[in-house]
Amino acid sequence: MKRYIIATGTVTYALKGRDILRKNGFSVKIERITGDKTLGCGYVLVVVGNIAEAEKILNSSGIKILKITEEQ
Amino acid sequence: MIYFDNAATSGHKPQTVINAVNYAMKNLSANPGRSGHKASILASDMVYNTRKKLADFFGAEGAEQVIFTQNCTQSINFVIKGILKKGDHVLVSNLEHNAVMRPLFKMGINYDAVTVFDDDNDTILDFEKKIKANTKLVIMTAASNVTGKILPFAEIGKICHKRGIFFCLDGAQGAGVLPINMQKMHIDYLCVAPHKGLYAPMGIGVLICRKPIENTIIEGGTGSSSLNLKQPDILPEMLESGTLNVPAIAGLSAGLDFVGQVGIENIYKKEMRLCKAFYDGISKNKKILIYTKEPLMHKYAPVMPFNLQGVPSERAAEILDSHSIAVRAGLHCAPSAHKTLNTTDFGTLRASFSVFNNENEVLRAINALKNV
Repeated sequence: MKRYIIATGTVTYALKGRDILRKNGFSVKIERITGDKTLGCGYVLVVVGNIAEAEKILNSSGIKILKITEEQ
Repeated sequence: MIYFDNAATSGHKPQTVINAVNYAMKNLSANPGRSGHKASILASDMVYNTRKKLADFFGAEGAEQVIFTQNCTQSINFVIKGILKKGDHVLVSNLEHNAVMRPLFKMGINYDAVTVFDDDNDTILDFEKKIKANTKLVIMTAASNVTGKILPFAEIGKICHKRGIFFCLDGAQGAGVLPINMQKMHIDYLCVAPHKGLYAPMGIGVLICRKPIENTIIEGGTGSSSLNLKQPDILPEMLESGTLNVPAIAGLSAGLDFVGQVGIENIYKKEMRLCKAFYDGISKNKKILIYTKEPLMHKYAPVMPFNLQGVPSERAAEILDSHSIAVRAGLHCAPSAHKTLNTTDFGTLRASFSVFNNENEVLRAINALKNV
């Protein structure tokens, strides 16, 4: 399955996003990526599964998403 | 030592709090929100879980509304200096701590003090009378740190909500003792001193924001958007520059668990039982002046102001200390309350109780005061 990287801007939102996605059955973990200054705090959610659904869940929970990329 | 100075800081901490601090010192000494290694993420997780617990405990919507500060005074400063401008009007009570009064004075903010009456209806009437068209913020203590009087903050929150006025509750004496639910009580900002009723270590404060803060008074590293010199405007990082006090946050987390397990209602009942027993005992002593009415449940927090007739409070506290009884003396950083009590010259003694005190200690203190 494809893995996606979701940047939320702050570690608090990343952790909140992780908990919400896990509750919704997603496989998700927190990682910190260095080198990409557009990722805010650098903490990102690494998500496996339906990214459109994950994005919808995060948006409806008030979590601002900075960027979504597909892991190469 | 009989420790009756719990309104200043709870003297006895649960063993679980001590264990949690110890664990954090050994295992969580990594900077949360800064690094990608496992230790940092573990620390970040603990911090985040404590935010979640605090949000649940105080009825806030989410963990991101919970800001860790150094103490309750800093939390209050963040609110006052973060949302007020010259020309705004503020309402306080006549029992406020200097944590509220000094920032207002320094900023030159125009304020009025609501008189707190024994009857809450009279307090609310006075409050409504003093609201002005430019009243932007109401900031009040949940319970006086001098008299113990509980303010009708739920009713005041409701009126603020209807009138579109920000409401900030100083929960220094209320948190962990009185039920506080931010959503139900329309509290926009809650300032907490966790080292008191939540049995946390000193050096940690909490601010919970359900409404935005416009300006910061401290800027610096947040671990996010580092290339941008502008302070981030997303909570909680906006107000959390610099490294967090991870061991104290771990202790706070355990303190919240402790309070949750014992139950706020049980804690309050026990502390009030001790306060009432102390009041009953000292009210029979003709050498003692008491500055509050009988401490009735749901009207007072477990705090008792009194004096030994003709003895300045600081001297009286020294005498009690020689009997191994710790109480606070002086003005308790709340001169407004002492003006109301007419005790500005000598201050008062203050006995304040925690769930770890017992009836035997109260009796020993009453007897010691008889023999002074």
